[in-house]
Amino acid sequence: MKKRSAVNLLVASVTAAALMTFAPIPGSGQDKQKGGKGGGRAPGGEQYGPYYAAPVTPGEPLGKTPDGQPDMQGFWTPRFNQAIFEVQDHPTAQPGVAPGKGAIVDPADGRIPYKPEAAAKAKQLMTKQIYLEPEAHCYVSGVPHAAYQQFGYQIVQPTGYVLFLTEYAHTYRAVPVDGRPHISSNIKMFRGDSTGKWEGGTLVIDTTNQNGKTWFDMAGNFTTQAIHVVERITPVDSNQINYEAVVDDASIYTQPWKIAGQLARHPDKNMELMEFACVEGNQDLVHYTEGVGGKAQEKGALRP
Amino acid sequence: MRYLLAVILLVPVAAQTKTPDLQGIWQAMNTAHVNLEDHIAVLDMPAGRSVIVDPPNGKIPYTAAAAQKQKENFKNRAKADPLNQCYIPGVPRVMYLPFPIQIVQTPKYVLMASEFAHTLRTIYMNGTQHPDVSLFWIGDSRGHWEGQTLVVDVGNHLPDTWFDRSGNFHSDALHIVERITRTEPDILTYQATLEDPQVFTRPWTIRMLLYRHKEPNFKLLEYECNVYLEDSEKESK
Repeated sequence: MKKRSAVNLLVASVTAAALMTFAPIPGSGQDKQKGGKGGGRAPGGEQYGPYYAAPVTPGEPLGKTPDGQPDMQGFWTPRFNQAIFEVQDHPTAQPGVAPGKGAIVDPADGRIPYKPEAAAKAKQLMTKQIYLEPEAHCYVSGVPHAAYQQFGYQIVQPTGYVLFLTEYAHTYRAVPVDGRPHISSNIKMFRGDSTGKWEGGTLVIDTTNQNGKTWFDMAGNFTTQAIHVVERITPVDSNQINYEAVVDDASIYTQPWKIAGQLARHPDKNMELMEFACVEGNQDLVHYTEGVGGKAQEKGALRP
Repeated sequence: MRYLLAVILLVPVAAQTKTPDLQGIWQAMNTAHVNLEDHIAVLDMPAGRSVIVDPPNGKIPYTAAAAQKQKENFKNRAKADPLNQCYIPGVPRVMYLPFPIQIVQTPKYVLMASEFAHTLRTIYMNGTQHPDVSLFWIGDSRGHWEGQTLVVDVGNHLPDTWFDRSGNFHSDALHIVERITRTEPDILTYQATLEDPQVFTRPWTIRMLLYRHKEPNFKLLEYECNVYLEDSEKESK
């Protein structure tokens, strides 16, 4: 589908609270048309979070794939509090980011353990350079952001792989689960290089080689090429997967930190991913021009 | 003897009923991405022979108006080629871009992931039909097995994609039937028949080979086209 102009939450003149009243239809692709990054209520009126996430209900015992992996295949919605807006706890409102909880469980204060100069850089990005926000430019998300990004994803497990097919920007992440070594550190990519292996009932994915051009969220929490992420993905039953990731980057953090959340199976049995074409007709940067200022920078980023 | 005969007769049947395995990382080794038809070289566009096997003259059977439009497209290709704007390539173009494609299979799906801009094709193998209304850059693919061949019906095309860098094009009436067969262990024969009564006077068919990448631990890297485009526009300011 051609992207409808996603109303960008970072438009200073529109309050996040107003956008929270959007009611996206889960998985239909229509949520993007109706308000993109707006929050929503699930059918029935219950508030599940900043966007639709299915409730976790007890499921059946896990099956196995033909090659013996615990079977996680299907459509999943991430439950990570308000991490899509800001990955760390953010008790005070920022332009476009309502106060809320993030997904950090270690350290206990729920905040990224930045070194002082890195904290200053994140604040500068959030308050002065938000037009650099990667999603507004249709950049593919890095790791672990891809695991809790809006709209959820499909997991497919062909022999030897786990694939995450994200509805956002219609992309994939293919993780070999044969424990193969990383590619050369000379090659940096948005998605980095992921290599996985099953340790009992837990899929452990080690990701390096990220290019330092992605953020964890829409709030300036940036990455560098030194980032190293270890994800631990543990399916509990047919309806629930527990997810955690340890993020390490000695160049900007004082210690490694950890996020945790859940994936809930999407209740629609006939679910199909829709095509969220992002580059094709992207209007987000136009919203920055109107709402946030800094036109000189944005002109350079806009296409004719 | 009777037992042996049964084995001889049954073995080929059993071999045929096993779902073919198309999994692996594949890539075309031709210049169809430049031009599906016979073409001589111009700057940055190597020469190549037509991949069109029907009609026999190797040319796309355009209507007169469409042939004119293709000439204009060719002239304006630097700006008009949707791929130069980094848009999703569409089918069949994604299949023969100069980028590797990884194919994976489950009983419900055949997935094709291109290195170009993380483009993904989901081919539904569960007997479902195309959706009623939506048009997609990558179309909508529903497949089934006919013996050793994966047959894919591709509908719901947005009219905004091209077939190659030379401006060969279609409308939203495009309908494609692909036939993909692993004709040798490391070769896929890719065939697609295209019809679009708004643009072509008759259906036509392309055929080419896709070769398996056999380098150890070969994997897709990434080509984030829109990022490089944005960077180059900034540099040229």
